[in-house]
Amino acid sequence: MNIRYQQIQGRSLGFYALVAGLGVFILAALGSVYYMEHNGHFVTGMNNRIVWGLPHVFALFLIIAASGALNVASIASVFQKKLYKPLSRLSGLVALALLAGGLMVLVLDLGRPDRLIVAMTEYNFKSIFAWNIILYNGFFVIVAVYLWMMFERRMNKFSRKAGIAAFIWRLILTTGTGSIFGLLVARHAYDAMIMAPKFIAMSFSFGLAFFILILMASYKWSERPLGDVVLNRLRNLLGVFVAAVLYFVIVFHIGNIYLAENKNVAMLLFNTNSIYTNLFWYGQILLGSLVPLLLIYHPVFKGNRSVLGLASLLVLIGGIVQMYVLIIGGQAYPLEMFPGKEILEGYGELVIYQASLPEMLLGVGGVAVALIAVVFLIKFLPFLPESLADKVADPHHKA
Amino acid sequence: MNRLLIILLALSYTSVFAYSGEGHINLGDKASELEDEGKSRDIHPSLSEIRKMHPEFLLHKRDKTLRQGVRTKRDSLKACVNCHSTSKDGEYIPVNAPDQFCSTCHQKVGVSLDCFSCHRTTPQEDL
Amino acid sequence: MSKKLNRRDFIKSTTASTAGVATIASGISLTTFAVNDNPVTKEKRWGMLVDINQLSESDIDNMVNACQEENGWGNETHSTGHQKPSWIKKIKVKDRATGKIDSLPMMCQHCEQPPCVDVCPTNASMRREDGVVLVDKHLCIGCRYCMMACPYDARSFVHENLSNQKEHMPRGKGTVESCTLCVHRVDKGGVPACAEAVSGEGVIFGDLYDADSKINQTLKKIQSTQIRADLNLNTGVRYSGI
Repeated sequence: MNIRYQQIQGRSLGFYALVAGLGVFILAALGSVYYMEHNGHFVTGMNNRIVWGLPHVFALFLIIAASGALNVASIASVFQKKLYKPLSRLSGLVALALLAGGLMVLVLDLGRPDRLIVAMTEYNFKSIFAWNIILYNGFFVIVAVYLWMMFERRMNKFSRKAGIAAFIWRLILTTGTGSIFGLLVARHAYDAMIMAPKFIAMSFSFGLAFFILILMASYKWSERPLGDVVLNRLRNLLGVFVAAVLYFVIVFHIGNIYLAENKNVAMLLFNTNSIYTNLFWYGQILLGSLVPLLLIYHPVFKGNRSVLGLASLLVLIGGIVQMYVLIIGGQAYPLEMFPGKEILEGYGELVIYQASLPEMLLGVGGVAVALIAVVFLIKFLPFLPESLADKVADPHHKA
Repeated sequence: MNRLLIILLALSYTSVFAYSGEGHINLGDKASELEDEGKSRDIHPSLSEIRKMHPEFLLHKRDKTLRQGVRTKRDSLKACVNCHSTSKDGEYIPVNAPDQFCSTCHQKVGVSLDCFSCHRTTPQEDL
Repeated sequence: MSKKLNRRDFIKSTTASTAGVATIASGISLTTFAVNDNPVTKEKRWGMLVDINQLSESDIDNMVNACQEENGWGNETHSTGHQKPSWIKKIKVKDRATGKIDSLPMMCQHCEQPPCVDVCPTNASMRREDGVVLVDKHLCIGCRYCMMACPYDARSFVHENLSNQKEHMPRGKGTVESCTLCVHRVDKGGVPACAEAVSGEGVIFGDLYDADSKINQTLKKIQSTQIRADLNLNTGVRYSGI
């Protein structure tokens, strides 16, 4: 049966309050950028040891989530699962919006954002960063084309091909993002190509969590029916992805502990009482992985939407914590320059990073940009099916 | 649309030659001395050339110096600053300060210049 | 050449350097001008040998001070703690087994295969033909990926507005910087400021490829190491006595 897509009305008080609220965050972010760029990075918590701070945490989190948010569409187009088909448009939109938010944060944290044009005209093809610039831009184009194929009835027949292209592209993109860290030979905290598949698993998990929250919120607030069939399927999927991330985290760290040269870095997460250890265990592992798994799989919570929402939210918070431990914790530990020697002076202490308010506002602003883009576009274009009630989503479903 | 284009071209044309024919209002200490001695043509044989082409000269020179280690004085930004800085009360005024040599034109034509976010704005020697 | 420029010198040197090119063309070598006028080539590879047994701690402090003085870093007013630039620093290490304590100066190692150059998206991080690794601040967008990639913590990011820079060393907010091996001196036949600040044989600067150079001959005789030699970067700065 045909799915009917319809814009949301977007004339309620709640809609305008939402837009205004997000607008405040975006303005605060822009103000922060002006403040940071005018004064220089000394007003931030970043320094020559923690060169990438909270803005990078948010930026990379959003970029990773962006490629993952496209998964729902990919499952429909690549793996031909009918149930996901009505969700494809929204999936593409969330992917683009998250990427835009992430890139905004990334770009505005540059030392010279006014020279962005240089990044577009001067390419060093040996640089993973340069490759990522191409991959990000390509993602915009491919997903936009994919969306067009889905929207335009005449083009529907090509949408599967576009979907496959987008799926392959997004796998390459996340591999590229993971390689930013995976190929840093100098740093024991990163240097491992398992970063690429780990990032892909993370993208599945974060992207889907974003998607579930946006889907539930938009259907609730626009008072459209959203059945349990769709949500239960997404819930199971999220559980699998969270478990996959946990698997990669465990494998990565076991590898690190086993290799003598990386032992010191690994011990940072297991042995010390630093903030990074606590964030890792309580934030990433407990709050971001184990609790969501419990909420998803425990029979008591079966079919409970609020619990699914909470689980998704925890996955996102845990995701930000994970990126924090990865990016900042990874830099905080000194480079192993002199194996077999202890550094007494001049270098070598564990650096504790203290994020400043403008950095936080910039990071949160990136999330706000992504959300406001979704809010506006579902108002102006028919992204959402009128109904995702069980009998629409799955005609064979027996109530 | 065409009319707009013509206006735009005319404006940019006039701005390039904004000071042609007349002396620059703020040449800088050494450049003024050289002009008084009638020697400025030894350094800039053609005024209109240096006015139009100085970004290209500087750009070419910067890559040669930085990337290839060619350290000649010709087209060096240091030399520009050395001659075209004005002093006041025994101190040099930054060459990119309002109404100084670089900024008079750049303000007028509305072109920002990025040299001095890194480069020194006064001659190194003290007065 | 290092003397300060006045108007007459300017005119003289402009004409003289033109003459210099002409003479070279006709086959007579005029090295002083050749150094300045010709692009650097692969025939040279600048390097430095640091013999830490011959360096006292105050020697290393002198090296750091000389670098600050020469290149104008270290007077930043707003940057605090790790935000302050550090092109060269003194590191003290203790051997875990023997307890032997060494102090050494640490700066950009001027790798032949520099990770910072590989990762730079805009080609701002670059290596000259003669082995000097530099940041082209005209192209640097301040992404700091090179700082993530450097195995030696050698690079600094300028965290604040600067003014009154050294004439030969442009530096500016939002770009990355590091030891330049004092190219502005080396290109004129000089040696880096840090090497000059040490009186004895503790630091030898020269052309690694030149079989007649002191650095080449010393490296043939004595045992030396590269820091993080496992990375196979073939550094230009070598150490002995660690």
